[in-house]
Amino acid sequence: MVNVLKGVLVECDPAMKQFLLYLNETSALGKKFIIQDLGDTHVFILAEVVHILQERVGELMDQNSFPITQK
Amino acid sequence: VALTAAKGVLRVQLQCKNLHEYLKELSPEILDRLYNHPATCLAVYRELPPLAKNYVMRMLFLDQPLPQAAVALWVKKDSEKDHDQCVSVLSGLRLWHSQQLQGGLQGNILNPVFKDNLRIALLGGGKSWADQGDSLGPDRHARDVESLDKYALERWEVVLHFMVGCPSAAVSQDLSQLLIQAGLMRTEAGDAPCITSAGFQFLLLDTASQLWYFTLQYLNTAQTRGMDLVEILSFLFQLSFSTLGRDYSVEGMSESLLTFLQHLREFGLVFQRKRKSRRYYPTRLAITLSAGVSANSSSTAMGAAPGTGDSGFIVVETNYRLYAYTNSELQIALVALFSECLYRFPNVVVAQVTRESVQQAIANGITAQQILHFLRTRAHPVMLKQNPVLPPTITDQIRLWELERDRLQFSEGVLYNQFLSQADFEVLRDRAQGLGCLVWQNVAHRVIVVSPQGHGEVKRFWKRQKSHT
Repeated sequence: MVNVLKGVLVECDPAMKQFLLYLNETSALGKKFIIQDLGDTHVFILAEVVHILQERVGELMDQNSFPITQK
Repeated sequence: VALTAAKGVLRVQLQCKNLHEYLKELSPEILDRLYNHPATCLAVYRELPPLAKNYVMRMLFLDQPLPQAAVALWVKKDSEKDHDQCVSVLSGLRLWHSQQLQGGLQGNILNPVFKDNLRIALLGGGKSWADQGDSLGPDRHARDVESLDKYALERWEVVLHFMVGCPSAAVSQDLSQLLIQAGLMRTEAGDAPCITSAGFQFLLLDTASQLWYFTLQYLNTAQTRGMDLVEILSFLFQLSFSTLGRDYSVEGMSESLLTFLQHLREFGLVFQRKRKSRRYYPTRLAITLSAGVSANSSSTAMGAAPGTGDSGFIVVETNYRLYAYTNSELQIALVALFSECLYRFPNVVVAQVTRESVQQAIANGITAQQILHFLRTRAHPVMLKQNPVLPPTITDQIRLWELERDRLQFSEGVLYNQFLSQADFEVLRDRAQGLGCLVWQNVAHRVIVVSPQGHGEVKRFWKRQKSHT
């Protein structure tokens, strides 16, 4: 029989995907949210974590950016 | 207005249609009535691509249909594409249609209404388009071109000020209603209207596009107000052929046209000294209106930009600093939409383009492309001397800041895996593809993802398959 799962498909670059795997392993969002790992650039995740995931990614980008200008 | 959904945030993108696209959407009867006015025919003709103009000219004085084969012979073999495009433009605007010739061939003939009126437009004759103000005698309160321009700019800026939320700008109920209907502002339960993301994008456009978009929205709602679309459109085209600085009389204009004239007065497209005045002056904004969107995207708008007052006034440096040489509240408010204002002097505002400010603007629905377009079209003459106009570091960085938010792309779906055989997988995959709901597949691991809308259909199909085998 075929297995049928509902969720959200995420497409991103390989670096971002590693970040998602890291969040998944450490259960940083409160639980494991990756249903299936689909390759270098795609993962299948639970639908409800989409918003928190966006926030986390935003935080990561904020951490990695430095103000380049002087006032 | 096209909608693109990006990760849960709905981004509305403004699309400015040009004259032809708008006309194509009208129903055939309305188009035919529109072509009853020489001014409209001339305006539509002006906007045709050169090859189409050539065709129209050749067929203008023919009273019989011309075989399609003959028309196809007018272009060389390698310009087939241009010919096809031309044919589709002319048919889309209903400027010509096919008719059967006597020999059984298909022929083309120009729309007779269009043909007659274009002839009138080109050769003269017919009714005069607009009543010259001569019958009223010379105007004691005549306005010259400069003051007309100033007036037009002032009125249009009041509308924009109102959108940005300056408390000093006050517009009529009608106008704010129109803005809400156009999706540029929204109002919640009795509060004052506040701007939407489409409104932000609208603000960053240049004046010609803004006017045109606004007019199109107005025309769309015209019918709900009980105004006659054809009358209004013809009047608009007539206006676009009037002479700047000359007054025209309101004799013979119907009630709805008079109301329309009052609205135009509010946008700054015409000037009338008092509501009951019997003469009006078209301003530069009205005359450039039907030149519309197509002509403006290149640099032509910059030097002689009507309605923006000064020519470009923004200097952008490679250290992300922005200097805006203006003291117009509106322009400063627009610059502040996507940058952090640092200092303000009597003639200059110093701002900085930062990651936070740009991402804030993007969260409000403005795209990087629009910010760059805004900066380019208002670039100071000093900036215009360099090529490219804006420093590449700045343009690239603004785009990168926008892309940061797009690192993850989500699409809802249903995952099918663990197929028992390759054949099963292929059958289901092909069915999903046929239905157009296949989002992603991996042949090596036999996994497919189907969109939620297609899932029901695919499941039923699968059950039927199972019961057959």
